[in-house]
Parts: sequence; C-alpha cells; structure tokens
Amino acid sequence: MPWLTCTKLTLFTIAGVAIQMVGLSIFVFGFFPVKPTLPGHSGSESFRAPQCDLVRNESESDLHPHQLRSLYKELSGMPPAFDRLILMVIDGLPAELVLGKDGKPPSKALMEAMPYTQSLLANGMAIGFHAKAAPPTVTMPRLKAMVSGAIGGFLDVAMNFNTQAMLDDNLLGQFFKIGWKMVMLGDETWLKLFPGLFLRHDGVSSFFVKDTVHVDQNVSRHLGYELSRDDWDFLILHYLGLDHVGHIGGRNSALMAPKLREMDEVVKMIHMNSILNQKNDEGQTLLVVVSDHGMTESGNHGGSSYEETDSLALFIGVKNNISDDFLSTHNIVHQVDIAPTLALLFGVPIPKNNVGVLIAEIFGYLSEDQQMKALELNSWQLLRLLQAQIPGLSCRNYPCDGSRDDQESRIAKCSGSMEAMFCCLYTNAALLQKSWMSKEISRSNSREDYTSTVVGYYEFLRTASEWLSRRATDKPVRLLTVGIAAMLLSCLILLSLLFHTCKEVYLREQSLFDLESIKQTWYLDETFVLGVVLILIVSMASSSMVEEEQYIWHFVASTLNLLLLRKTIKCPTGAGAQDLRSSSKGKNKISFCRLSSISVVLISGRILRGWHQGGVNWTNLPDISKWLEQAGTDNVKSIQLVSCLLVMSLTLCVLFLFGFNMKFVLVIGFSFLMSGLLVLQHFVKHQDGMFASSSYSTTTLVQIIYAIMGISTFGTVVALPWFVRFSTSEMGLSHDLYMSTSVPNEVQNNTLLVKLRESLYLVGWEYISFWCLLQLLLQQTINSMTILLLLVQILASMLYFSYSGLHQKQWVEIAALYFLGMAGHFALGNSNSLATIDVAGAFMGISNHSTVLSGILMFIITYASPMLFILSMVMYVSVKDTSYLPSLVNADSTQLLKLMLGFPCLVPLGLNSILLTAYTIVLLIMRNHLFVWSVFSPKYIYVCTTTICVYIGVSVVATTVTYTYWVLGLSKKMQSKRGHHHLR
Amino acid sequence: MKQKKNKEMAAKPSSKAISKAEALAVHLISGFGLSVAFWVAHNVHSITLTSHPSHTLCLIWVFECPAVILLYSRYRKDHEQCSYFKAVGRGLLGLPAGALINALGAIVLGAPAGIQYLPKTINWSLVMSLFTIVPAASVFGSSWTDWQRIFAFTKPIEPVDYMICLPAHGAVIGAWFGAFPMPLDWERPWQEWPICVSYGAIVGYLVGIVASLGFILVRQHVKGD
Repeated sequence: MPWLTCTKLTLFTIAGVAIQMVGLSIFVFGFFPVKPTLPGHSGSESFRAPQCDLVRNESESDLHPHQLRSLYKELSGMPPAFDRLILMVIDGLPAELVLGKDGKPPSKALMEAMPYTQSLLANGMAIGFHAKAAPPTVTMPRLKAMVSGAIGGFLDVAMNFNTQAMLDDNLLGQFFKIGWKMVMLGDETWLKLFPGLFLRHDGVSSFFVKDTVHVDQNVSRHLGYELSRDDWDFLILHYLGLDHVGHIGGRNSALMAPKLREMDEVVKMIHMNSILNQKNDEGQTLLVVVSDHGMTESGNHGGSSYEETDSLALFIGVKNNISDDFLSTHNIVHQVDIAPTLALLFGVPIPKNNVGVLIAEIFGYLSEDQQMKALELNSWQLLRLLQAQIPGLSCRNYPCDGSRDDQESRIAKCSGSMEAMFCCLYTNAALLQKSWMSKEISRSNSREDYTSTVVGYYEFLRTASEWLSRRATDKPVRLLTVGIAAMLLSCLILLSLLFHTCKEVYLREQSLFDLESIKQTWYLDETFVLGVVLILIVSMASSSMVEEEQYIWHFVASTLNLLLLRKTIKCPTGAGAQDLRSSSKGKNKISFCRLSSISVVLISGRILRGWHQGGVNWTNLPDISKWLEQAGTDNVKSIQLVSCLLVMSLTLCVLFLFGFNMKFVLVIGFSFLMSGLLVLQHFVKHQDGMFASSSYSTTTLVQIIYAIMGISTFGTVVALPWFVRFSTSEMGLSHDLYMSTSVPNEVQNNTLLVKLRESLYLVGWEYISFWCLLQLLLQQTINSMTILLLLVQILASMLYFSYSGLHQKQWVEIAALYFLGMAGHFALGNSNSLATIDVAGAFMGISNHSTVLSGILMFIITYASPMLFILSMVMYVSVKDTSYLPSLVNADSTQLLKLMLGFPCLVPLGLNSILLTAYTIVLLIMRNHLFVWSVFSPKYIYVCTTTICVYIGVSVVATTVTYTYWVLGLSKKMQSKRGHHHLR
Repeated sequence: MKQKKNKEMAAKPSSKAISKAEALAVHLISGFGLSVAFWVAHNVHSITLTSHPSHTLCLIWVFECPAVILLYSRYRKDHEQCSYFKAVGRGLLGLPAGALINALGAIVLGAPAGIQYLPKTINWSLVMSLFTIVPAASVFGSSWTDWQRIFAFTKPIEPVDYMICLPAHGAVIGAWFGAFPMPLDWERPWQEWPICVSYGAIVGYLVGIVASLGFILVRQHVKGD
C-alpha cells in the first residue's frame, strides 16, 4: 500500500497552495504598501479647518483662473511673496558637494567650482538645505515627490498601466489652475508626467548616458531667450549632465568640477538676470535649485544610503535673517517639504497627498500672524490626510465655532495610541494658537505664547509627516520574512509530493515491466530540466536577463526539444508495451512520426521567437511582426483570416479524425464551427481593426461569441460523461464474469479507462480549440498567426508524447510543455515591463466600463500561452500511453486518478513555486537596486500573475478530470445495474 | 615516418587501435591548425574574431579542414572496403552536410536568420562541422549504428571514438554556454552572433581534446595493467 493515497495527495497539494497564497499575499502587501490616497485636487476648502468644511463652495470650478487666484489670496490671508518661480533641477547632485557635511563646508576644490553659489550662501542671499529623498532614488518618483509632496508606492505606478502622466494633486496642476504659464527645458520625464501643461518645452532624453555635454547645452541654449521673456510664470530647467558624469566616473570624476562650474554659471546668469535686475512692477522671482537624488561614490543611485538620498534644496532670492551658524546645523529637511513650502510661498493650496512640512526658515520674512497661518494651513492639510488613512480620526473635541473658554486647562500631555496622539497634538496646537490670538491686543508680551504655539504646531506636523512617510516606504522585515518562509514551506511541500509521486510511479513501472530500458538511469533530459530551473533562478538576479527573459525561455525550450529529438534517435521505436506489438514497419512509421512532430515543434518555436523581438534593449531590431506591419494592413488582415480558417479546419480535422463518440463530436463540431464563423464575420466586418470595436453591433456580436463559447464549453464538460454508453457486449462480458474471478475487475476498469480517455480527449481538445478561438478574437491582429503556431506546437507535442511511452518520464514532458508555454508567452509580444500589456483588447465586447471585466480580459490576453499549455494537460492525460495503469485495480480506484493527475498538476505547481520563491528572495535582496522599480518590481507582478494563472489552470484540469472520472464511474455502475435487471 | 606508420596500419585487418602518440599527434595537429588560423588572422590579415568574425571563421575552417579530414580519414572504421581517398571524400561531403545540421540547430536555438548574418552563420557552421560531424563522417562513413552510438548514446568504446565524441560534444556544449552572454546589455562587441558562440565552441573543443587525451591515456594505462 503506497504511503500517498489520492485523498492525502489532494489535501497536501491544496494545503501547499493555500500556504503559498497566504505567504504571497503577506509578502506583496508588505513589500508594496497600499496607502489610501485622496483623489482630486485641493481647492479653496484647504483654507478652512477640516472639521468645519461641511458647507462647500461648489462654484469654484467655474471660476476664472485669475478670480481663483484672488480667492486663494483672500482666503489664506497671506499675500504671495513671489510672482515667478524658476525651478532648476540638477539631476543627481548630492547636497554634500554644495553644503558640506556635518556642519563642515565642502572641500576647497568644490567650493572653487561653484564660486557664485557659495558667495550667495555666504552672503545670506540663498538658503540651502539637505533635502532627504525617499527611496527609490530614481528620477521620476523623486520628481513626483517634489511636486506633490507625496511618497508614492509602487502599486500606484502599476495601477495606471500605460499612462505615465501624473494624475495626483500636484504643484504644477495647482499653478495651472490659477492660470500660470509654464516653460520646461530639460529632461523629458517632465513631459511624460505633465503632458500638455507647458507653454513651451524642449525635452532632452536621458538615454545617452555617455553624453555629458550636449544634454546640458540643449537646455542652456534657450535660457537667454526665456529669461528675456515675461510671458511665463514658472520655468523648469532640468540638467541631466551631472548625473551622467556620475554614471561615467563617479563623484570624483575629473568631469565633476567643470560640470559644477557650468551649473554655477547657470545660477549666476539667472540670478543676475531675473532676481537682481527686477523692476518693481514685475514682482519678485524665486530661484529654487534642487536635485532629485544624490549619488554613491561610484555614481550610482536608486538605493537608500545617505549618499544617494542626500539631495539639495537651495532657495535663492528669499530674504534671510537667520544666522549662518543656525543654518549650518539645522539645514536638514525632507525632499517632500519642498512642495508645501512652494505652495504656501505662492499662495496655492497644498497638494492633497502631501506629507511634507513647510520649511520654516524660508518664511522668516512673514509677520507672526502669517507664519502662524501657514503652519495652520499645513496642519489642516496633514490632518485631512491622516483622517483618510485612519478612518476613526475625527478630533471632534476641537471647537468649530470658535468659542474659547478654559483652553489652558485642556492642554495635556500627549500619549497613547497613534490616533489619540495625533488628535491631542493637533488640538494642543490649535488651542495654543487660539489663546495667542485672543491676547492679540497685548501682542508685545505674548512672545512666549507665540513660540509655544509654533513648537506645538511643529510637533504635530513632524509627527504626522514622519508617520505618513514611514507608512509609504517602510518595509516590515518581519512580515516579509514570514511571507518568504511560508512560500519556502509550500515549495518544499509541493516538491516532496512531486518526489514521492515520482518514486511511486517508478516503482510501479519497475514492478510491472522488467524492461531493461527503464532501469534507473539519470537521463540527460531530466538533468537538463533541473539545470534549467537553476539557470532560471540565476538569471533572475540579473536585471538585463530579466529584461530579455524571452531569450532564455526560447533557448531552454528549444534545447529541451533538441534533447528529446536526440532521445528519439536513440530509441526510435517508441516504447513500452508497443515494442512488443508493433511490426517493424509500424515502428518505422512511429519513429518517423515522432521525429517529424518534434521537428515541427522546433521550427514553429523558432518562428514564434522571430515574431516579436520583445525585451527592452533590442526592441527596435527587425522581426516578423514589424515586417508584416510594414507590408500593409491588408496583408495582416489576410493572414488573420487565413490563420483563423486554418485553426478552424485543424480543430475540426482533429475532432473528426480521432473522435470516438460520434453524436457528441457533431455537437461540439457544430458549436465550434458556429463561433468560428462568427469570429470570421467579426474580422471581415471590421477591416480597420481595433478602432471600430466600440460600436454597438460589434459589442453585441462579440458578446454572442463569448456566450456560445462559454455555454458550449461548459455544457460539454458537464454533459459529456453522462452520455457515454458502455456498449452492451462489454457490459455482458463484465456481467458474466462479475462474480467469478478477479479478472473482470480489470476488464471493467479497462473499459472505464478507455471511455475516460475518450471523453478527456474530447474535452481537452475542446478546451484548447475554444481557447485558441477566443485568443484569435481578442489578440492583436498581428498575433493571429502566433496562435495558430502555438496550436500546431501543442498538437505536435501531443503526437510526440502519445508515442513516447515509458522511455520518457512524464514530468519531463510536462516540464517541456510548461517551457513551451512560457516561450509562447513572450512570443505573443509580452515582456517583463508593464508597457506591453495589450489594453486595447481588454475592452472587446464590454458595453460599459467595468474594471473587473476588462481586468479578466487583460489577464486572458496576456496569459494566453501559459494557460493554453496548462489546459492542454487534459488532452495530455488522455493521449498518454497508460497501458500500465489498468493492472493496479487491486488498490482502490482513486489510485488511478492519482497516477493520471499527479504529474500534470504537481509539475506546473512545483516549477512555479520554485520560481516564485526564488524570485521573491531575489526581489528582497534587490530592494535597494537601481532598477528595483523599473525592472524587478514589474517582473514580480508578472511572476505573481503567472502563479495565479497556474492555480486557475491546474484547478480547471484537476476538476475536469476528476469530474469526468467520477461521472463515468457512476454511470457505469448505473448501467451495469440496469443491465443486471435486464438480464434477470 | 608517417608513411611507415600508415603502412603498419594498412597491414592491420580492420579498424585498428590508435596509439597514445597518434592520438596526441592528431589532437595536437588539429589544435595547431586552430592556432595557425588565429596567427594568420592576427599577423597577416591583422584581424581578430571580434573585429571580423566572418573572415576569421573562414580562415579557421580553411586551415582546420585539411588537418581534420586528412588526419581522421586515416582511422576509418571500414578499413578494408574503404580506401583512404574515399574516406577523405566522405569527410569533404560531410563538411557541408554537417554545416547544414549545425546551422539548423543554431537557428532553431535562436541564432539570427537574417540575410545579413548569412556569411557569418555559414562560416561558423562550417567550423562547427569540422569540430563535430566531419571527423565522424571520415571515420564512420554511413554506418548508422556508429553515428547513433557516438552522438545519441554518447558511448565511445575505442580510442578513436573518444577522439571524435568528446571534442564534438565539447564544442557543442561550449557553443551552447557561449550563447548566454548574448542577451546581456554589456554593449561589448563580442556579444554579437556568432563571436561569443565561436569562442565558447573553441574553448569547449579544446577541453574536449584534453579530456579525450586523458581518457585514452587512462584507458591504455588500465589495459596495460
């Protein structure tokens, strides 16, 4: 009696999968924290206290920009100190190079490299800060943090697939609303983030990292012109050269000092032109020099070390009455603090999701009232954000109506839960402010009150800001470890199950056939499959291998097929029991069949590889799809029609050539033909491809196709096994022998097995063909041929495996199918970047926008190939030579089910769990890597989705086979009973 | 010297055992052919494999071809039915056939199939053919069981089997591993097809030669005992 019964196996597998799911979700939520963000944009309500804005001014959106500007001015009570803003971003400049470290000035050479800036700092005409950036220290998220004050999680990037435009509330949007004209010169990231916002722009690409000269000249060449114009209010300059210098030679590169000098020249030019030369009627200009992130000694960035996060914020043109000593020690702020500071300086609402705190030193020029007001506005905004994140937070005890009695008594020491703490801090500050305001008349002696109010506000702001930003970036290590441990555990469970199944099957084979050929030798293909797993794990740790993953999958899939070809040459006669029966002519035929089918798999695999170049670095190289698209839409269209026709005829051929249960085959064939013709009609009707698919008739047609496919597939799966007839002759035979010996059991089971295989063959082929048809409908036109090739690959593989018998370990064959599926995934044009997801097809046949439905369609489109190959397992189960199975009836009948289903379910689950676990660990190790957000995290999303795909596919396969087996057993029992009665 | 040896061999009935010295000589000469090709490429044409892959590979097979075919033809299996020249002819025939097989294998594994890569692919596959198919063609001719034994089962028995089998497998495995750097974004010129694959194949071939010598020495040592 084997240790592993079917029930046990099932339970263990389900347990393993469940543990994996739990571990995965723990890890994902730990690694990609989802924080609720506030939608929409701040308006005039941000000038009112959060508790009191029950009455909202709805007419605001209709206001003219200038009216809005004056409304803000009126509400805030602070006249904007400046009218124009120049934001100069120096990519990758560490603040250390300008401001020094720990109160010490930077080295002499660096001081000399930036003479003008240093003199501004020394004369108090500029205030510089170390602005601590949050990881990932990469340009785009840092720019977002600077203009919105929010620290974004990764998932918000993933959520808006193709558009990189910044949708959250931000400074540029606020400025745009009050009618500012903006000009952008420099890194084109700004153009991607804010399309259509700029009056004039000249984007430069950061693609050519070796270029340190032109990339900045292209920005500076417009500077003289722009400074002479007065039609803009906001000028953005983004210099990339310094970052490129760092990437080439690190911080101490010989190019660094000249580059700093160049930047200094730009600062000098702007300062001379627009700040010193200001006429009184033009208003004041503020120059803010910032860097998006720092760099390590070797010039890299992306991680969270001090060198990388040490970015610069330099305000030039603010009146400064603070001593230098104070500044040199108190000059550390956060990068997110820039956003609220600028918003308050220019009199616009603070962006909604800002977590920053205004930089007090900048506001020295304001009166005490106004400073207090600024603090209050910032606190209100943060309180609103806190209320969004902690739903219970209301701080109701704060009086709205302004009744002020016994405030002094309420000021309390703050402690307790986070919630209570925030409330208490805020209330304290607000009460202090009120008490200070009430003593307005005797202002002169309320200095102490003022200071304590400011301190109170800062305490609240700092606590809230820290808590909020920690929520966005912190990675709870314990949680992540638990997640990984769970995944490792499930991986071990699945692998040991696989190992046990392997061992059992091997023992059974050995006991059944004393064949020389299945003695336990470790074949090359088996070693290779294990080697592939190792190769995949190693390659995951390299960012460029992740980017170009399609090469690896194709390479290993083809190599495995070549090894199978070699094996076929080794023992060309097929295998197992067939050896004994077939004549030499038959053997030749079989070996020819096997050779040609494996060659077909190889050739179509190569064509599939050439279909889409894929990847990231060599996407522009020529491939078949580009070539076809150049040849014109007509050709693409005709290829689509041809491949649809071929898929249909191939399907029908296979159905009728090998079909057993004729009546049902006709039904299936008819429903397939019908949906196929409808798909064809859809193609013919909509010559111009995707764009017509929104019309009503198209949607209806597509919905009809969905319905037919769904009903016929589901109907067949449910109904088919009930209609299987066990022929009376067999019945009689089994009945006659029923009582006498143990032989009939075998015969009985044999017929059951035959019928099971027939039904599974039909169901499996139906899964495959309908899935292909669905893909033909959904995929881009150019991919229709790919679907056909995938179908051909599956057919050829099935043909090959059906003859391979016992020479081939089952798990190797299933691994080969899995590899082919993954290679096909990339052949359909997918890659590990989120940009290749086909969003257009996801709205096919959906009449009104639904995120869930289009998400499902997107999943179906993206995972077409892996799903297809997993679904083909049903057919694989039916075609596999199982002549050794019937003799195991002495055990209970579920043993048979276990042997049939064990490998097709466990191998994909096991392979996937290894890859998932390994990649999770890689991601954890790489969390500070430069490309963690651009390469590794998108890949992780794909890995997770592949896991879901495997779960769904395997459960469909297992359910189908189990259901069919169960129904067949039942109906056989019923029929035999009936036959029994009949005979009596 | 050579002729004398030749006569000795001719005297033996069928395929004869190859001595240690002969095996060493064959391998040394084929290795020598490789190095001469590189030397000529470097000093006469002043090119390298990286700068002019097609031309260099062409030089390699031109120099390697006579060495391999002439050497291996002497150890033909069917010594009685087949004259030396016939074996040489078989080798020459095996060159394009093996090149075709190698080229097909490479393309199936993802080698670029564009027309601009054609000369490179042809020259590379000719070199690979000399490493893999040609020696076997000269030695075994059309004996399917021998081919099957060497390439499908990897079961070399005699010394000459080792001399064919191990370098051939070494070259193929080396080429397979040599393809791994190709998709990386290191922006090195040698990542192009077929440069690193050729380097891999040559390294694998040399390792195979060393291994085959080792096996032959160990075997004869064991036999001697």
